[in-house]
Amino acid sequence: MDLKDIKAIYKFLKDTDIVEIEVEGKDGKLRLRRGGAGHEVIVEKAGQAPKVEVEPKKEAAPSKPDNIRIVTSPMVGTFYRSPSPEAQSFVEMDSFVKSGQALCIIEAMKLMNEVESEFSGKVVSILVENGQPVEYGEPLFHIEVSK
Amino acid sequence: MRPSESAEARIIRLLRMRPDGHVSGERISRTLGMSRAAVWKHIGALRKAGYEIKAVPSKGYMLGETALEALARFNAAEISAGLTAKTIGREIFFYPELTSTNQKAMELGRLGEKEGSVVIAERQSAGKGRLGRKWESPSGVNLYTSIILRPKIPTFEAQKLTLMLAAAVAETVAEFSPVRPEVKWPNDILINSKKAAGILTEMDAEPDRVNFIVAGIGVNVNMTAADTPPFLRPIATSIRQVRGEDISRAVFAQRLYSNVEKWYDVFLKDGFEPVVAGWKRFFSSEGKAVKVTVFNRVIEGLCMGIDKGGALLVRTPSGAVERIISGDVETAGSSHLRGLSPFKG
Repeated sequence: MDLKDIKAIYKFLKDTDIVEIEVEGKDGKLRLRRGGAGHEVIVEKAGQAPKVEVEPKKEAAPSKPDNIRIVTSPMVGTFYRSPSPEAQSFVEMDSFVKSGQALCIIEAMKLMNEVESEFSGKVVSILVENGQPVEYGEPLFHIEVSK
Repeated sequence: MRPSESAEARIIRLLRMRPDGHVSGERISRTLGMSRAAVWKHIGALRKAGYEIKAVPSKGYMLGETALEALARFNAAEISAGLTAKTIGREIFFYPELTSTNQKAMELGRLGEKEGSVVIAERQSAGKGRLGRKWESPSGVNLYTSIILRPKIPTFEAQKLTLMLAAAVAETVAEFSPVRPEVKWPNDILINSKKAAGILTEMDAEPDRVNFIVAGIGVNVNMTAADTPPFLRPIATSIRQVRGEDISRAVFAQRLYSNVEKWYDVFLKDGFEPVVAGWKRFFSSEGKAVKVTVFNRVIEGLCMGIDKGGALLVRTPSGAVERIISGDVETAGSSHLRGLSPFKG
């Protein structure tokens, strides 16, 4: 990792809401944290700074069997399981979904993003409660794909 | 119907250039590069659409219309005829009725419809608001339009476009309204604290990049109180209600598409900062007590403006600053929080 890489990572971060990032390369680890002069560190809950860790994408969590796929949030926003409060949820536990099927909506600043499954399989965990905030890259669903 | 820069639009333009005279069929056919027979066919289509076009032998065609008739016209050819935007509105899908223009535009987007194409409906039977709410859409008085955009940006930046759209819509409303509009975070447009326009943006995206965005814009243009459902009368208004007269919806649409194009270009070329500056010109909640409903949680505090990413900042009585990504904002005028100073630690 050289200065060019670090600059590139910083540039990427600058325009996002990500406060902290950890990147692991073959020759070491880099942790960047924005803050300090000119940048307000915002406290969301008393005494707790928002912290976003973007982990290098691994195929699946190491503790999971290798047929579990993780659907992550493509953006910071609010997680909704249905298109409107009265409507049925897009999916339930044990629902079978096809690749391209809608799983949830993430809303940020009145932009509605219907997140689709990249995988076909069974919904085995729903990791976020309806109406809760999610971070960029946060796992939302576990999909069990057939081997 | 999809006349993009259609022959009809060009004929309307030609005829309007000579409001009291005639334009010969020969000249129209030369200007448009088509046969006299083809010109005749398009004149027929325009007459069918309600344009009174008189034909005088050996002189040519004349559009007989009063200013009031011209002002009331609202169709794809009419909008095309005066459009100055280069991309946005160059393709117009115009319908007498749709369930929602966003739904149609999402369908078109998935079929690969190009950037800048717009959908318009005279009436929506299920106009979309936030979280499944309905946007009341009476026929023949307002503008309901959805714009397809294909920005080459990462998915996590797409929400910035909603402020870009708000700046463009507020600016357009300001061109026609004698009362300066205000923007309510993130992108409702208010006149005299009542809703005059709303924006609902939907996105089709991959985890890493945007395929396309549909910007649904509803503007209360010529809606009178009588056109407004009673339950909305206390909270909705229109340009007409503050101006005291109708405006041309076609001209409004032309200005809207130009302004969206301008701010979209600013966003793509110069980034988000100038967009925020444009948006802030219409934002007046900063320093005021606000109440924000975020799903089933209510946050009350002092509005501290927005951050670099466009999120709303609210300082709560405990002193913590909440960063809000989505929610319904009310300016709580008579709130007990009034005494809070934005500058107090």
